[in-house]
Amino acid sequence: MENRPPANGQAQPPVLLSVQGLSLEYARRHAFRAKRTETHALRDVSFDLREGETLALVGPSGSGKSSLAKCLVLLETPSTGRILYRGTDILQLPPEARREVRGEMHLIFQDASTALNPRWTVTEIVREPLTIHSKGLSSAESTRLVIEALEQVELGANWHARRPRELSGGQRQRVALARALMLRPKLLILDEALASLDLSAQGQLGNLLLELQQRYAMSYLYVTHDMRMASVLAHHFAVLDGGRIVPRTLPTELIAGTLQPVS
Amino acid sequence: MLRVTRRFVHALVLLLGVSAISFALLSAAPGNVFDELRLNPQISPEAVAALKAQFGVDLPWPTRYAHWLASVLRGEFGYSVSYRCRVGTLLWPRARNTLLLTALATILAWMIAVPWGIVEALHRGRWLDRLGGGITAILLAIPELVLVLLLLWLAARTRWFPTGGMFSLGSAELTISRKAWDLAQHLILPVLALALGTAPFLIRYVRSAISAVLDAPFLQSARGFGIGTARIVYRHALPAAANSLISLLGFSIGALLSTSLLIEVVLSWPGLGPLMLEAMLARDTCVVMAVVMLSAVFLVLGNLIADLLLYWSDPRIRAV
Repeated sequence: MENRPPANGQAQPPVLLSVQGLSLEYARRHAFRAKRTETHALRDVSFDLREGETLALVGPSGSGKSSLAKCLVLLETPSTGRILYRGTDILQLPPEARREVRGEMHLIFQDASTALNPRWTVTEIVREPLTIHSKGLSSAESTRLVIEALEQVELGANWHARRPRELSGGQRQRVALARALMLRPKLLILDEALASLDLSAQGQLGNLLLELQQRYAMSYLYVTHDMRMASVLAHHFAVLDGGRIVPRTLPTELIAGTLQPVS
Repeated sequence: MLRVTRRFVHALVLLLGVSAISFALLSAAPGNVFDELRLNPQISPEAVAALKAQFGVDLPWPTRYAHWLASVLRGEFGYSVSYRCRVGTLLWPRARNTLLLTALATILAWMIAVPWGIVEALHRGRWLDRLGGGITAILLAIPELVLVLLLLWLAARTRWFPTGGMFSLGSAELTISRKAWDLAQHLILPVLALALGTAPFLIRYVRSAISAVLDAPFLQSARGFGIGTARIVYRHALPAAANSLISLLGFSIGALLSTSLLIEVVLSWPGLGPLMLEAMLARDTCVVMAVVMLSAVFLVLGNLIADLLLYWSDPRIRAV
Protein backbone atom coordinates (compact mmCIF):
# COMPACT_ATOMS: atom_id res chain seq x y z
CA MET A 1 0.00 0.00 0.00
CA GLU A 2 1.10 3.52 -0.68
CA ASN A 3 1.53 6.22 1.92
CA ARG A 4 -0.96 9.04 1.64
CA PRO A 5 0.21 12.32 0.18
CA PRO A 6 -0.07 15.17 2.69
CA ALA A 7 -3.26 17.19 2.41
CA ASN A 8 -1.48 20.53 2.84
CA GLY A 9 -0.48 22.48 -0.20
CA GLN A 10 -3.95 22.01 -1.71
CA ALA A 11 -7.07 24.16 -1.27
CA GLN A 12 -8.48 23.42 2.23
CA PRO A 13 -11.75 21.48 1.97
CA PRO A 14 -14.55 22.68 4.28
CA VAL A 15 -14.75 21.31 7.84
CA LEU A 16 -17.23 18.42 8.06
CA LEU A 17 -16.96 17.63 11.76
CA SER A 18 -15.80 19.95 14.50
CA VAL A 19 -15.55 18.62 18.03
CA GLN A 20 -15.27 21.39 20.61
CA GLY A 21 -14.45 20.97 24.29
CA LEU A 22 -15.99 17.52 24.56
CA SER A 23 -15.95 15.90 27.99
CA LEU A 24 -17.50 12.62 29.13
CA GLU A 25 -17.81 11.33 32.66
CA TYR A 26 -19.01 7.94 33.79
CA ALA A 27 -20.56 7.88 37.25
CA ARG A 28 -20.13 4.67 39.23
CA ARG A 29 -22.30 3.75 42.19
CA HIS A 30 -20.84 1.86 45.12
CA ALA A 31 -22.80 -0.84 46.89
CA PHE A 32 -22.11 0.44 50.40
CA ARG A 33 -21.19 4.08 49.85
CA ALA A 34 -23.60 6.91 49.10
CA LYS A 35 -20.92 8.84 47.22
CA ARG A 36 -20.51 8.12 43.52
CA THR A 37 -17.15 7.90 41.78
CA GLU A 38 -16.76 9.74 38.51
CA THR A 39 -14.40 8.51 35.81
CA HIS A 40 -13.36 11.10 33.26
CA ALA A 41 -13.30 9.28 29.93
CA LEU A 42 -12.84 12.46 27.87
CA ARG A 43 -11.57 15.89 28.95
CA ASP A 44 -12.01 18.94 26.79
CA VAL A 45 -11.37 17.17 23.48
CA SER A 46 -11.34 19.40 20.40
CA PHE A 47 -10.45 18.74 16.76
CA ASP A 48 -11.65 19.37 13.22
CA LEU A 49 -12.11 16.90 10.41
CA ARG A 50 -12.36 18.19 6.85
CA GLU A 51 -14.37 16.73 3.98
CA GLY A 52 -12.62 13.90 2.14
CA GLU A 53 -9.83 13.66 4.71
CA THR A 54 -8.82 11.09 7.29
CA LEU A 55 -7.92 11.90 10.85
CA ALA A 56 -6.15 9.15 12.76
CA LEU A 57 -6.91 9.22 16.44
CA VAL A 58 -4.16 7.24 18.08
CA GLY A 59 -3.62 6.38 21.70
CA PRO A 60 -3.09 3.53 24.13
CA SER A 61 -5.90 1.30 25.45
CA GLY A 62 -8.17 3.12 27.89
CA SER A 63 -7.26 6.53 26.50
CA GLY A 64 -10.89 7.29 25.60
CA LYS A 65 -10.76 6.61 21.85
CA SER A 66 -13.83 4.36 21.75
CA SER A 67 -15.74 6.63 24.13
CA LEU A 68 -15.12 9.51 21.74
CA ALA A 69 -16.28 7.40 18.77
CA LYS A 70 -19.47 6.49 20.64
CA CYS A 71 -20.12 10.13 21.55
CA LEU A 72 -19.89 11.13 17.90
CA VAL A 73 -22.66 8.70 16.87
CA LEU A 74 -24.64 9.63 19.98
CA LEU A 75 -24.29 6.24 21.68
CA GLU A 76 -22.93 8.16 24.67
CA THR A 77 -24.08 11.59 25.79
CA PRO A 78 -21.14 13.87 26.56
CA SER A 79 -21.22 15.88 29.80
CA THR A 80 -20.10 19.09 28.08
CA GLY A 81 -18.95 20.27 24.69
CA ARG A 82 -20.28 20.51 21.16
CA ILE A 83 -20.24 18.20 18.15
CA LEU A 84 -20.68 20.36 15.07
CA TYR A 85 -21.58 18.46 11.93
CA ARG A 86 -21.56 20.81 8.94
CA GLY A 87 -21.76 23.64 11.46
CA THR A 88 -24.80 22.31 13.38
CA ASP A 89 -24.46 21.05 16.95
CA ILE A 90 -25.99 17.57 16.71
CA LEU A 91 -26.34 17.35 20.49
CA GLN A 92 -28.93 20.13 20.33
CA LEU A 93 -30.95 18.60 17.47
CA PRO A 94 -34.45 17.16 18.03
CA PRO A 95 -34.66 13.32 17.69
CA GLU A 96 -35.94 13.34 14.10
CA ALA A 97 -33.16 15.62 12.86
CA ARG A 98 -30.61 13.56 14.80
CA ARG A 99 -31.79 10.48 12.96
CA GLU A 100 -31.15 12.19 9.64
CA VAL A 101 -27.61 13.10 10.68
CA ARG A 102 -27.02 9.55 11.85
CA GLY A 103 -27.73 8.42 8.31
CA GLU A 104 -24.66 10.40 7.21
CA MET A 105 -22.16 9.18 9.83
CA HIS A 106 -21.47 5.57 10.69
CA LEU A 107 -19.40 3.81 13.27
CA ILE A 108 -17.65 0.57 12.36
CA PHE A 109 -16.58 -1.49 15.36
CA GLN A 110 -13.40 -3.45 15.87
CA ASP A 111 -14.97 -6.89 16.13
CA ALA A 112 -17.43 -7.43 13.30
CA SER A 113 -18.21 -10.92 14.62
CA THR A 114 -20.13 -9.31 17.49
CA ALA A 115 -21.18 -6.12 15.69
CA LEU A 116 -23.45 -7.97 13.24
CA ASN A 117 -26.72 -9.60 14.28
CA PRO A 118 -25.78 -13.31 14.38
CA ARG A 119 -29.30 -14.44 13.41
CA TRP A 120 -29.48 -12.41 10.21
CA THR A 121 -28.14 -13.09 6.74
CA VAL A 122 -25.64 -10.76 5.06
CA THR A 123 -28.43 -9.33 2.88
CA GLU A 124 -30.70 -8.64 5.86
CA ILE A 125 -27.85 -6.94 7.76
CA VAL A 126 -26.86 -4.73 4.85
CA ARG A 127 -30.47 -3.84 4.04
CA GLU A 128 -31.33 -2.63 7.54
CA PRO A 129 -30.16 1.01 7.29
CA LEU A 130 -32.39 1.37 4.23
CA THR A 131 -35.46 0.17 6.13
CA ILE A 132 -34.78 2.82 8.76
CA HIS A 133 -33.73 5.79 6.69
CA SER A 134 -35.24 5.21 3.24
CA LYS A 135 -38.79 4.12 3.90
CA GLY A 136 -40.94 3.86 0.81
CA LEU A 137 -38.20 2.27 -1.25
CA SER A 138 -39.51 -0.68 -3.30
CA SER A 139 -38.24 -4.16 -2.44
CA ALA A 140 -36.59 -4.52 -5.89
CA GLU A 141 -34.85 -1.17 -5.54
CA SER A 142 -33.55 -1.93 -2.05
CA THR A 143 -32.31 -5.35 -3.22
CA ARG A 144 -30.47 -3.65 -6.07
CA LEU A 145 -28.83 -1.23 -3.63
CA VAL A 146 -27.85 -4.07 -1.29
CA ILE A 147 -26.23 -6.02 -4.13
CA GLU A 148 -24.47 -2.86 -5.30
CA ALA A 149 -23.08 -2.17 -1.80
CA LEU A 150 -21.87 -5.76 -1.46
CA GLU A 151 -20.22 -5.56 -4.87
CA GLN A 152 -18.44 -2.38 -3.79
CA VAL A 153 -16.85 -4.25 -0.90
CA GLU A 154 -16.12 -7.17 -3.21
CA LEU A 155 -18.38 -9.69 -1.55
CA GLY A 156 -19.77 -12.04 -4.20
CA ALA A 157 -23.36 -13.30 -4.50
CA ASN A 158 -22.51 -16.68 -2.97
CA TRP A 159 -22.00 -14.95 0.39
CA HIS A 160 -25.25 -12.99 0.47
CA ALA A 161 -27.39 -15.66 2.15
CA ARG A 162 -24.75 -16.57 4.75
CA ARG A 163 -24.83 -15.58 8.40
CA PRO A 164 -21.92 -13.78 10.13
CA ARG A 165 -20.48 -16.90 11.73
CA GLU A 166 -20.07 -18.46 8.28
CA LEU A 167 -17.77 -15.61 7.20
CA SER A 168 -14.11 -14.86 7.87
CA GLY A 169 -13.08 -11.82 9.94
CA GLY A 170 -12.24 -9.82 6.83
CA GLN A 171 -15.53 -10.73 5.14
CA ARG A 172 -17.48 -9.69 8.25
CA GLN A 173 -15.73 -6.34 8.27
CA ARG A 174 -16.63 -5.97 4.58
CA VAL A 175 -20.28 -6.65 5.47
CA ALA A 176 -20.07 -3.95 8.17
CA LEU A 177 -18.56 -1.60 5.61
CA ALA A 178 -21.22 -2.43 3.01
CA ARG A 179 -23.92 -1.72 5.62
CA ALA A 180 -22.30 1.61 6.39
CA LEU A 181 -22.11 2.47 2.69
CA MET A 182 -25.83 1.86 2.11
CA LEU A 183 -26.80 5.43 2.92
CA ARG A 184 -23.80 7.05 1.20
CA PRO A 185 -22.37 8.39 4.47
CA LYS A 186 -20.18 11.46 4.58
CA LEU A 187 -18.27 10.29 7.65
CA LEU A 188 -17.07 6.83 8.68
CA ILE A 189 -15.75 6.35 12.19
CA LEU A 190 -13.52 3.30 12.12
CA ASP A 191 -13.07 2.21 15.74
CA GLU A 192 -10.08 -0.15 15.50
CA ALA A 193 -11.90 -1.53 12.46
CA LEU A 194 -8.85 -3.30 11.07
CA ALA A 195 -7.27 -4.36 14.36
CA SER A 196 -8.78 -7.85 14.55
CA LEU A 197 -7.74 -8.79 11.00
CA ASP A 198 -4.58 -10.48 9.77
CA LEU A 199 -2.05 -8.42 7.82
CA SER A 200 -3.28 -9.48 4.40
CA ALA A 201 -6.94 -8.69 5.24
CA GLN A 202 -5.83 -5.37 6.79
CA GLY A 203 -4.05 -4.49 3.57
CA GLN A 204 -7.01 -5.43 1.36
CA LEU A 205 -9.52 -3.54 3.49
CA GLY A 206 -7.18 -0.56 3.82
CA ASN A 207 -6.93 -0.35 0.03
CA LEU A 208 -10.69 -0.63 -0.27
CA LEU A 209 -11.16 2.21 2.23
CA LEU A 210 -8.77 4.43 0.26
CA GLU A 211 -10.56 3.62 -2.98
CA LEU A 212 -14.00 4.31 -1.49
CA GLN A 213 -12.78 7.59 0.00
CA GLN A 214 -11.54 8.69 -3.38
CA ARG A 215 -14.76 7.64 -5.09
CA TYR A 216 -17.25 9.13 -2.64
CA ALA A 217 -15.16 11.90 -0.98
CA MET A 218 -15.89 10.42 2.46
CA SER A 219 -14.15 11.52 5.63
CA TYR A 220 -12.73 8.94 8.00
CA LEU A 221 -12.05 9.21 11.69
CA TYR A 222 -9.66 6.32 12.08
CA VAL A 223 -9.44 5.31 15.73
CA THR A 224 -6.45 3.06 16.25
CA HIS A 225 -3.34 2.21 18.19
CA ASP A 226 -1.67 0.90 15.04
CA MET A 227 0.49 3.84 13.95
CA ARG A 228 1.77 2.03 10.88
CA MET A 229 -1.76 1.65 9.46
CA ALA A 230 -2.59 5.20 10.55
CA SER A 231 0.32 6.50 8.50
CA VAL A 232 -1.07 4.73 5.44
CA LEU A 233 -4.67 5.87 5.77
CA ALA A 234 -4.61 9.27 7.46
CA HIS A 235 -3.86 12.84 6.45
CA HIS A 236 -3.73 14.10 10.03
CA PHE A 237 -3.30 12.59 13.44
CA ALA A 238 -4.22 13.36 16.99
CA VAL A 239 -2.94 11.57 20.06
CA LEU A 240 -5.42 10.83 22.81
CA ASP A 241 -4.08 9.99 26.24
CA GLY A 242 -5.97 9.93 29.53
CA GLY A 243 -9.03 11.35 27.76
CA ARG A 244 -7.16 14.44 26.44
CA ILE A 245 -5.70 15.30 23.08
CA VAL A 246 -2.03 15.71 23.80
CA PRO A 247 0.55 17.47 21.66
CA ARG A 248 2.91 14.71 20.68
CA THR A 249 4.99 13.79 17.67
CA LEU A 250 4.65 10.31 16.24
CA PRO A 251 7.82 8.25 15.67
CA THR A 252 9.27 9.42 12.41
CA GLU A 253 10.33 5.99 11.24
CA LEU A 254 6.67 4.88 11.38
CA ILE A 255 5.04 7.82 9.72
CA ALA A 256 7.82 8.73 7.28
CA GLY A 257 6.84 12.38 7.59
CA THR A 258 3.51 11.98 5.81
CA LEU A 259 1.14 12.83 8.67
CA GLN A 260 0.28 16.30 9.84
CA PRO A 261 -0.65 16.98 13.47
CA VAL A 262 -4.26 18.04 13.80
CA SER A 263 -4.87 21.77 14.14
CA MET B 1 -38.64 -34.66 11.16
CA LEU B 2 -35.90 -37.00 12.35
CA ARG B 3 -35.09 -34.52 15.11
CA VAL B 4 -38.74 -34.53 16.31
CA THR B 5 -38.96 -38.32 16.20
CA ARG B 6 -35.71 -38.62 18.14
CA ARG B 7 -37.00 -36.18 20.77
CA PHE B 8 -40.25 -38.20 21.08
CA VAL B 9 -38.31 -41.41 21.64
CA HIS B 10 -36.14 -39.67 24.27
CA ALA B 11 -39.30 -38.37 25.97
CA LEU B 12 -40.84 -41.87 26.10
CA VAL B 13 -37.68 -43.39 27.59
CA LEU B 14 -37.53 -40.59 30.15
CA LEU B 15 -41.18 -41.08 31.15
CA LEU B 16 -40.64 -44.81 31.51
CA GLY B 17 -37.65 -44.13 33.77
CA VAL B 18 -39.60 -41.59 35.88
CA SER B 19 -42.52 -43.99 36.26
CA ALA B 20 -40.26 -46.92 37.32
CA ILE B 21 -38.36 -44.83 39.89
CA SER B 22 -41.53 -43.22 41.27
CA PHE B 23 -43.25 -46.61 41.55
CA ALA B 24 -40.24 -48.15 43.28
CA LEU B 25 -40.00 -45.25 45.77
CA LEU B 26 -43.73 -45.33 46.53
CA SER B 27 -43.53 -49.11 47.07
CA ALA B 28 -40.54 -48.70 49.38
CA ALA B 29 -42.48 -46.26 51.61
CA PRO B 30 -43.85 -48.04 54.70
CA GLY B 31 -47.58 -48.70 54.97
CA ASN B 32 -50.34 -48.97 52.40
CA VAL B 33 -53.96 -48.06 51.77
CA PHE B 34 -55.23 -51.06 53.84
CA ASP B 35 -53.32 -50.23 57.01
CA GLU B 36 -56.11 -47.98 58.28
CA LEU B 37 -58.67 -50.74 57.65
CA ARG B 38 -56.73 -53.02 60.02
CA LEU B 39 -57.32 -50.50 62.83
CA ASN B 40 -61.07 -50.78 62.32
CA PRO B 41 -62.37 -53.54 64.71
CA GLN B 42 -65.46 -54.06 62.50
CA ILE B 43 -63.28 -55.38 59.64
CA SER B 44 -61.77 -58.78 60.22
CA PRO B 45 -58.07 -59.46 59.45
CA GLU B 46 -59.24 -62.09 56.94
CA ALA B 47 -61.30 -59.49 55.05
CA VAL B 48 -58.29 -57.13 54.95
CA ALA B 49 -56.06 -59.98 53.76
CA ALA B 50 -58.61 -60.84 51.06
CA LEU B 51 -58.71 -57.20 49.90
CA LYS B 52 -54.92 -57.04 49.84
CA ALA B 53 -54.81 -60.20 47.74
CA GLN B 54 -57.52 -58.80 45.44
CA PHE B 55 -55.53 -55.61 44.76
CA GLY B 56 -52.17 -57.41 44.65
CA VAL B 57 -50.64 -55.22 47.35
CA ASP B 58 -48.28 -57.96 48.55
CA LEU B 59 -46.94 -58.80 45.09
CA PRO B 60 -43.31 -57.76 44.37
CA TRP B 61 -43.11 -54.18 43.02
CA PRO B 62 -41.87 -55.11 39.51
CA THR B 63 -44.96 -57.28 39.03
CA ARG B 64 -47.25 -54.51 40.31
CA TYR B 65 -45.41 -52.03 38.10
CA ALA B 66 -46.01 -54.26 35.06
CA HIS B 67 -49.74 -54.43 35.93
CA TRP B 68 -49.81 -50.67 36.36
CA LEU B 69 -48.08 -50.13 32.99
CA ALA B 70 -50.64 -52.37 31.29
CA SER B 71 -53.49 -50.36 32.82
CA VAL B 72 -51.81 -47.09 31.68
CA LEU B 73 -51.83 -48.42 28.14
CA ARG B 74 -55.57 -49.05 28.54
CA GLY B 75 -55.97 -45.43 29.74
CA GLU B 76 -57.07 -46.54 33.24
CA PHE B 77 -53.95 -45.62 35.30
CA GLY B 78 -54.76 -48.31 37.87
CA TYR B 79 -57.61 -48.52 40.39
CA SER B 80 -58.14 -46.09 43.25
CA VAL B 81 -59.02 -48.00 46.39
CA SER B 82 -60.12 -44.90 48.31
CA TYR B 83 -62.30 -43.50 45.51
CA ARG B 84 -63.40 -46.98 44.32
CA CYS B 85 -63.02 -46.19 40.62
CA ARG B 86 -60.48 -46.28 37.83
CA VAL B 87 -57.92 -43.48 38.27
CA GLY B 88 -58.32 -42.38 34.65
CA THR B 89 -61.95 -41.37 35.17
CA LEU B 90 -60.96 -39.50 38.32
CA LEU B 91 -57.98 -37.81 36.77
CA TRP B 92 -59.21 -36.13 33.58
CA PRO B 93 -61.86 -33.76 35.03
CA ARG B 94 -59.43 -32.72 37.79
CA ALA B 95 -56.56 -32.23 35.32
CA ARG B 96 -58.86 -30.16 33.10
CA ASN B 97 -59.75 -27.88 36.02
CA THR B 98 -56.11 -27.46 37.02
CA LEU B 99 -55.05 -26.77 33.44
CA LEU B 100 -57.76 -24.14 33.01
CA LEU B 101 -56.47 -22.36 36.10
CA THR B 102 -52.73 -22.68 35.49
CA ALA B 103 -52.85 -22.00 31.75
CA LEU B 104 -54.73 -18.73 32.33
CA ALA B 105 -52.37 -17.78 35.17
CA THR B 106 -49.29 -18.58 33.08
CA ILE B 107 -50.58 -16.53 30.13
CA LEU B 108 -51.35 -13.61 32.49
CA ALA B 109 -47.94 -13.88 34.19
CA TRP B 110 -46.13 -13.80 30.82
CA MET B 111 -48.32 -10.93 29.61
CA ILE B 112 -47.25 -8.95 32.68
CA ALA B 113 -43.62 -10.10 32.68
CA VAL B 114 -42.56 -9.49 29.07
CA PRO B 115 -43.51 -5.80 28.77
CA TRP B 116 -42.53 -5.10 32.39
CA GLY B 117 -39.14 -6.80 31.97
CA ILE B 118 -38.51 -4.92 28.70
CA VAL B 119 -39.39 -1.55 30.26
CA GLU B 120 -37.10 -2.27 33.22
CA ALA B 121 -34.25 -3.31 30.90
CA LEU B 122 -34.68 -0.18 28.78
CA HIS B 123 -34.55 2.02 31.91
CA ARG B 124 -31.70 0.22 33.68
CA GLY B 125 -30.39 2.07 36.68
CA ARG B 126 -33.11 4.73 36.49
CA TRP B 127 -36.02 5.27 38.86
CA LEU B 128 -38.49 3.20 36.79
CA ASP B 129 -36.16 0.20 36.96
CA ARG B 130 -35.60 0.68 40.68
CA LEU B 131 -39.36 0.98 41.32
CA GLY B 132 -40.05 -2.15 39.25
CA GLY B 133 -37.21 -3.98 40.98
CA GLY B 134 -38.60 -2.99 44.39
CA ILE B 135 -42.10 -4.26 43.55
CA THR B 136 -40.81 -7.59 42.22
CA ALA B 137 -38.53 -7.97 45.27
CA ILE B 138 -41.52 -7.48 47.61
CA LEU B 139 -43.66 -9.95 45.61
CA LEU B 140 -40.83 -12.49 45.60
CA ALA B 141 -40.41 -12.12 49.35
CA ILE B 142 -44.08 -12.74 50.12
CA PRO B 143 -44.77 -16.48 50.58
CA GLU B 144 -47.44 -17.81 48.21
CA LEU B 145 -49.69 -18.71 51.13
CA VAL B 146 -49.59 -15.16 52.52
CA LEU B 147 -50.34 -13.79 49.06
CA VAL B 148 -53.40 -16.05 48.71
CA LEU B 149 -54.61 -15.16 52.19
CA LEU B 150 -54.20 -11.44 51.43
CA LEU B 151 -56.24 -11.80 48.24
CA LEU B 152 -58.79 -13.90 50.12
CA TRP B 153 -59.08 -11.19 52.76
CA LEU B 154 -59.49 -8.58 49.99
CA ALA B 155 -62.19 -10.66 48.30
CA ALA B 156 -64.02 -11.21 51.59
CA ARG B 157 -63.86 -7.50 52.50
CA THR B 158 -64.86 -6.07 49.13
CA ARG B 159 -67.04 -8.94 47.83
CA TRP B 160 -65.73 -8.11 44.36
CA PHE B 161 -65.23 -11.77 43.52
CA PRO B 162 -65.98 -15.20 45.05
CA THR B 163 -63.62 -16.52 47.71
CA GLY B 164 -63.39 -20.18 46.70
CA GLY B 165 -64.62 -23.11 44.62
CA MET B 166 -65.15 -23.26 40.89
CA PHE B 167 -68.91 -22.58 40.55
CA SER B 168 -71.57 -20.95 42.77
CA LEU B 169 -74.24 -23.10 44.43
CA GLY B 170 -77.08 -23.78 41.99
CA SER B 171 -74.94 -22.97 38.96
CA ALA B 172 -76.06 -26.23 37.31
CA GLU B 173 -79.37 -24.59 36.48
CA LEU B 174 -77.77 -21.53 34.82
CA THR B 175 -77.54 -20.96 31.08
CA ILE B 176 -74.15 -21.59 29.41
CA SER B 177 -73.24 -17.90 29.19
CA ARG B 178 -74.17 -17.25 32.85
CA LYS B 179 -72.26 -20.37 33.87
CA ALA B 180 -69.21 -19.13 31.96
CA TRP B 181 -69.51 -15.75 33.71
CA ASP B 182 -69.80 -17.51 37.07
CA LEU B 183 -66.69 -19.57 36.27
CA ALA B 184 -64.80 -16.44 35.17
CA GLN B 185 -65.60 -14.74 38.48
CA HIS B 186 -64.41 -17.79 40.44
CA LEU B 187 -61.21 -17.85 38.38
CA ILE B 188 -60.17 -14.28 39.27
CA LEU B 189 -58.80 -15.01 42.74
CA PRO B 190 -56.75 -18.17 42.03
CA VAL B 191 -55.50 -16.91 38.66
CA LEU B 192 -54.41 -13.61 40.24
CA ALA B 193 -52.70 -15.39 43.13
CA LEU B 194 -50.86 -17.76 40.82
CA ALA B 195 -49.88 -15.04 38.32
CA LEU B 196 -48.65 -12.69 41.06
CA GLY B 197 -46.59 -15.54 42.49
CA THR B 198 -44.99 -16.42 39.14
CA ALA B 199 -44.69 -13.01 37.41
CA PRO B 200 -41.88 -11.49 39.59
CA PHE B 201 -39.60 -14.41 38.79
CA LEU B 202 -40.42 -14.10 35.07
CA ILE B 203 -39.97 -10.29 35.15
CA ARG B 204 -36.49 -10.65 36.63
CA TYR B 205 -35.61 -13.22 34.02
CA VAL B 206 -36.94 -11.16 31.08
CA ARG B 207 -35.18 -8.03 32.39
CA SER B 208 -31.87 -9.79 32.69
CA ALA B 209 -32.18 -11.53 29.29
CA ILE B 210 -33.09 -8.28 27.48
CA SER B 211 -30.44 -6.29 29.39
CA ALA B 212 -27.74 -8.74 28.33
CA VAL B 213 -28.83 -8.40 24.71
CA LEU B 214 -29.07 -4.60 24.84
CA ASP B 215 -25.39 -4.52 25.83
CA ALA B 216 -24.42 -6.70 22.87
CA PRO B 217 -22.14 -4.90 20.38
CA PHE B 218 -24.45 -5.65 17.44
CA LEU B 219 -27.22 -3.70 19.15
CA GLN B 220 -24.89 -0.81 19.94
CA SER B 221 -23.95 -0.89 16.30
CA ALA B 222 -27.63 -0.90 15.28
CA ARG B 223 -28.27 2.04 17.60
CA GLY B 224 -25.41 3.87 15.93
CA PHE B 225 -27.46 3.76 12.73
CA GLY B 226 -30.24 5.69 14.40
CA ILE B 227 -32.57 2.70 14.79
CA GLY B 228 -35.51 3.53 17.06
CA THR B 229 -36.21 1.85 20.40
CA ALA B 230 -39.25 -0.08 19.13
CA ARG B 231 -37.28 -1.68 16.30
CA ILE B 232 -34.32 -2.32 18.60
CA VAL B 233 -36.62 -4.21 20.98
CA TYR B 234 -38.84 -6.11 18.55
CA ARG B 235 -36.49 -6.82 15.63
CA HIS B 236 -33.22 -7.27 17.51
CA ALA B 237 -33.42 -7.67 21.30
CA LEU B 238 -36.48 -9.92 21.62
CA PRO B 239 -35.43 -12.42 18.92
CA ALA B 240 -31.90 -12.46 20.37
CA ALA B 241 -33.22 -13.03 23.91
CA ALA B 242 -35.80 -15.51 22.60
CA ASN B 243 -33.65 -18.59 23.18
CA SER B 244 -33.46 -18.19 26.95
CA LEU B 245 -37.08 -16.97 27.16
CA ILE B 246 -38.34 -19.96 25.13
CA SER B 247 -36.48 -22.31 27.48
CA LEU B 248 -38.19 -20.61 30.41
CA LEU B 249 -41.56 -20.86 28.63
CA GLY B 250 -40.92 -24.61 28.29
CA PHE B 251 -40.34 -24.74 32.02
CA SER B 252 -43.57 -22.74 32.60
CA ILE B 253 -45.52 -25.27 30.52
CA GLY B 254 -43.81 -28.09 32.36
CA ALA B 255 -44.83 -26.66 35.71
CA LEU B 256 -48.49 -26.15 34.70
CA LEU B 257 -49.75 -29.09 36.77
CA SER B 258 -47.49 -28.68 39.77
CA THR B 259 -47.54 -24.97 40.61
CA SER B 260 -51.10 -24.65 41.81
CA LEU B 261 -51.25 -27.37 44.50
CA LEU B 262 -51.26 -24.98 47.47
CA ILE B 263 -53.64 -22.46 45.90
CA GLU B 264 -56.09 -25.19 44.86
CA VAL B 265 -56.14 -26.57 48.39
CA VAL B 266 -56.58 -23.15 50.06
CA LEU B 267 -59.21 -21.93 47.58
CA SER B 268 -61.03 -25.28 47.26
CA TRP B 269 -60.40 -25.44 43.53
CA PRO B 270 -61.40 -28.95 42.39
CA GLY B 271 -58.12 -29.66 40.61
CA LEU B 272 -55.29 -32.11 40.96
CA GLY B 273 -53.90 -30.41 44.07
CA PRO B 274 -56.56 -31.52 46.57
CA LEU B 275 -56.77 -34.93 44.86
CA MET B 276 -53.01 -35.43 45.23
CA LEU B 277 -53.10 -34.34 48.88
CA GLU B 278 -55.97 -36.69 49.74
CA ALA B 279 -54.35 -39.55 47.83
CA MET B 280 -51.05 -39.08 49.65
CA LEU B 281 -52.76 -39.04 53.04
CA ALA B 282 -54.73 -42.19 52.12
CA ARG B 283 -51.61 -43.84 50.57
CA ASP B 284 -53.55 -44.33 47.37
CA THR B 285 -50.53 -45.29 45.26
CA CYS B 286 -52.24 -45.37 41.86
CA VAL B 287 -53.67 -41.84 42.21
CA VAL B 288 -50.32 -40.44 43.40
CA MET B 289 -48.56 -42.22 40.54
CA ALA B 290 -51.04 -40.85 38.01
CA VAL B 291 -50.60 -37.25 39.22
CA VAL B 292 -46.79 -37.62 39.30
CA MET B 293 -46.81 -39.09 35.81
CA LEU B 294 -49.10 -36.38 34.46
CA SER B 295 -46.73 -33.74 35.88
CA ALA B 296 -43.78 -35.56 34.31
CA VAL B 297 -45.60 -35.69 30.95
CA PHE B 298 -46.12 -31.92 31.12
CA LEU B 299 -42.49 -31.34 32.01
CA VAL B 300 -41.35 -33.43 29.07
CA LEU B 301 -43.97 -31.81 26.81
CA GLY B 302 -42.86 -28.33 27.91
CA ASN B 303 -39.26 -29.13 27.03
CA LEU B 304 -40.32 -30.65 23.74
CA ILE B 305 -42.37 -27.57 22.82
CA ALA B 306 -39.45 -25.32 23.84
CA ASP B 307 -37.09 -27.37 21.65
CA LEU B 308 -39.41 -27.15 18.66
CA LEU B 309 -39.93 -23.41 19.18
CA LEU B 310 -36.16 -22.90 19.39
CA TYR B 311 -35.74 -24.91 16.21
CA TRP B 312 -38.38 -22.77 14.52
CA SER B 313 -37.17 -19.41 15.83
CA ASP B 314 -33.39 -19.66 15.57
CA PRO B 315 -32.00 -20.14 12.07
CA ARG B 316 -28.60 -21.05 13.55
CA ILE B 317 -30.09 -24.13 15.26
CA ARG B 318 -31.73 -25.21 11.99
CA ALA B 319 -28.38 -24.89 10.25
CA VAL B 320 -26.65 -27.35 12.63
